[in-house]
Amino acid sequence: MSNLLAARAQMGTSLAFHIIFSALGVGIPLLLCIVEGLALRTKNPVWMMLTRRWARAAAILFAIGAVSGTILSFELGLLWPTYTKFAGAVIGLPFMLEGFAFFTEAIFLGLYLYGWDRLSPRAHWLCSFPIWISGLASAWFIVSANAWMNTPTGFVMKHGTIVDINPLQAIFNPSTPYETVHMILACYVATGFAVAATYALAILRGKRGEYYRKGLMVGMLMAVIATPLQIISGDFNARYLADYQPIKFAAMEGVTHTEQGAALKIGGLADPNTGQIHYAIEIPKGLSLLAYLNPDATIKGLEQVPRQDRPNALFVHSSFDGMVASGLFGLLVALLFWGLYWFKKRTIPENRLLLRGIVLAGPLAFLAIELGWMVTELGRQPWVIYGYLRTKDAVTTAPLLNVSFLVFSLVYILLSAALIWLLLQIAHRPLPQVKVVGEGYQVIEPTIADAEEAGI
Amino acid sequence: MDAALIALIVLWWALITYAVLGGADFGAGVWDFFAVGRLADRQRNLINHALGPVWEANHVWLIFLIVGLFSVFPSAFSTLSIALFFPFTLALLGIVLRGAAFIYRYYAVETTGRFARSWGRVFSVSSVLTPFFLGASAAAVASGKLLLPNGMADATYFVSWISPFVLTIGAMAVSLCATIAAVYLTVEARDTEHDRELAESYRLKALIAGAITATLGALGLVLSSVESPILWQGMLVRAWPVVIVTMIIGLATAITLYTRHYNTARVLIIAEVAFMLGAWGLAQYPYIIPINYTIGNSANAPNVITAILIGLACGMVIVIPSLYYLFSVFKLPYPAPEAQRSANE
Repeated sequence: MSNLLAARAQMGTSLAFHIIFSALGVGIPLLLCIVEGLALRTKNPVWMMLTRRWARAAAILFAIGAVSGTILSFELGLLWPTYTKFAGAVIGLPFMLEGFAFFTEAIFLGLYLYGWDRLSPRAHWLCSFPIWISGLASAWFIVSANAWMNTPTGFVMKHGTIVDINPLQAIFNPSTPYETVHMILACYVATGFAVAATYALAILRGKRGEYYRKGLMVGMLMAVIATPLQIISGDFNARYLADYQPIKFAAMEGVTHTEQGAALKIGGLADPNTGQIHYAIEIPKGLSLLAYLNPDATIKGLEQVPRQDRPNALFVHSSFDGMVASGLFGLLVALLFWGLYWFKKRTIPENRLLLRGIVLAGPLAFLAIELGWMVTELGRQPWVIYGYLRTKDAVTTAPLLNVSFLVFSLVYILLSAALIWLLLQIAHRPLPQVKVVGEGYQVIEPTIADAEEAGI
Repeated sequence: MDAALIALIVLWWALITYAVLGGADFGAGVWDFFAVGRLADRQRNLINHALGPVWEANHVWLIFLIVGLFSVFPSAFSTLSIALFFPFTLALLGIVLRGAAFIYRYYAVETTGRFARSWGRVFSVSSVLTPFFLGASAAAVASGKLLLPNGMADATYFVSWISPFVLTIGAMAVSLCATIAAVYLTVEARDTEHDRELAESYRLKALIAGAITATLGALGLVLSSVESPILWQGMLVRAWPVVIVTMIIGLATAITLYTRHYNTARVLIIAEVAFMLGAWGLAQYPYIIPINYTIGNSANAPNVITAILIGLACGMVIVIPSLYYLFSVFKLPYPAPEAQRSANE
């Protein structure tokens, strides 16, 4: 493996791993805030049971998110030192601000997760607000830095040196509003479906009761609000890309020659060399219509730039299709669920096929995030900072990058295996016993002895 | 005073904070490694409770340092990332495994099961390795021999960080972390666990680790006169009063520990770290990476640094009161508003 390929593989693996935890890190705190708020307001112990269960899972997931995020902040320098020299000068500010958001999140997470007995019920609930707000801010700042890599602004390149830096212009580059909104909504979609899928699976396995129904409802509620918004945001992104990142757009949609009245190509496989798509379902003039609301609009093709400046259309197109398909599947499941809910006079539908669909929508929502990330990252290649720095020129001169890739891959496998094992163990514990006491709740976590008595 | 110098002072202050907070968390892991015998379970329990609420927030100081260096001195950051590729990668692996292992052990369903014990081992071993590689990296920078004679960075230029001075400071970093942790754990064993026996055992550990730190520190100072002339010159010209104060505070910490004035000892050990790192900073001034990168030639454009300083000020307005709240709930003797002491205390 060449050093460049090893570095890209390690960076890609690290991002693919971290993005799962960061999505949950944005989504779960909002759910915690909602269910704990409901617990305090309604005095229904089931809400508190949900809060306690999710908080325990969140403690583990967030710690893994924190350490995997640390890997990325080191890897920017360790793998791409030339990139950091360039990016640090221009786009360091959002990284710094993201640091503060992470700080706030970690501080209040400590209070939230370990402060059950030390804070009043109200103070404890209030601690959940800074967590979800700073999670949101973190996502916004870090994605604004990525947006800058796609459409770099806020500086002037003069004889190979960077001058006239304007950090605010760099943060508010043209891609920022589109990309940040799309990523943040993706976090809520994925978290909603992940939670819903967990409880749908439990119900499919014969678990019954208010705890499971409420868990499913809250997850599906988040999903049904976020998913349609996400599809609208996706449409905005695509139309924006057609104008501002036309080469990425051409690779996504398989447009080789610049053409008028371009067809929308769904599915199929792109030839990685030419970008031509074979075996696709074609809707005549569909792409021009979607991108510009005009069936005869002109779509720019990959041939606008020389071959060495084009991304690999095979990966970009297929990832794009996979992302859209996963998103639409989620939308269908969410609408069916709530449609049936109202139709059946506000009872949770227990149709097994629908529940299976929800179980499937959980992993698909995360797949959509991974694929969407691949569209934006692979679609930018061969550039790391579009038009200014090529990925191959950014890589480090340090040796043994393939060994480094191997070691980090093993660490990810080890961490994932242990995490899954531990979460399953926790899920199989009996539910905490919750009683309303005064303004708050008294919670008794079952001990191992209780668990054995319950036959688990 | 220009913007770059102000930013550097803030970063140095963050480095000190990371050392006294994050360093202590690593130090607790070191003691976890040595937790054997009759008190072992009580020790592990104390360490779990001491780290649980704060370790993630303490860890963020490191992220803050990285992004700060990255945005204020981008070229120096890029060079350090190449030159210290191996020690940084090893420290990173340690950081990742430490955090994950701690949380896996903490939330293990069976606290004495195989899963918890294996991850406990990973936690303690990575807590020893990480401060070693971070300390060694710092010493390699201070030695002034990190870069090739032509000023270029090369990851395979191993002589830059495998030298007696660098290895001594790496070891001193581990023992310093262990000392800080032992002092904190003494206070927490007495105040939150009400366990005199445990407090006594950490008092002894703090004294031993402190003596080792002092010895290694003195050795490092002697070696620096031979191996890192720039640092030594800086000590003689500028930093010597701070070095002397550091030594006096170190002695005072030992005396207060010996006489069981633990709260004072906790304040003194923090001052000790601040003065020690302050001495390094003063001695190395004005270099970022001696001798090729100075504050002047590696700082970002002044308007960018000003923007970062404004961002810093806004961020600190939120973070510092929040941190105070966190520590007042879990660590300080004065409870914060809306905080209540748990029933078992």
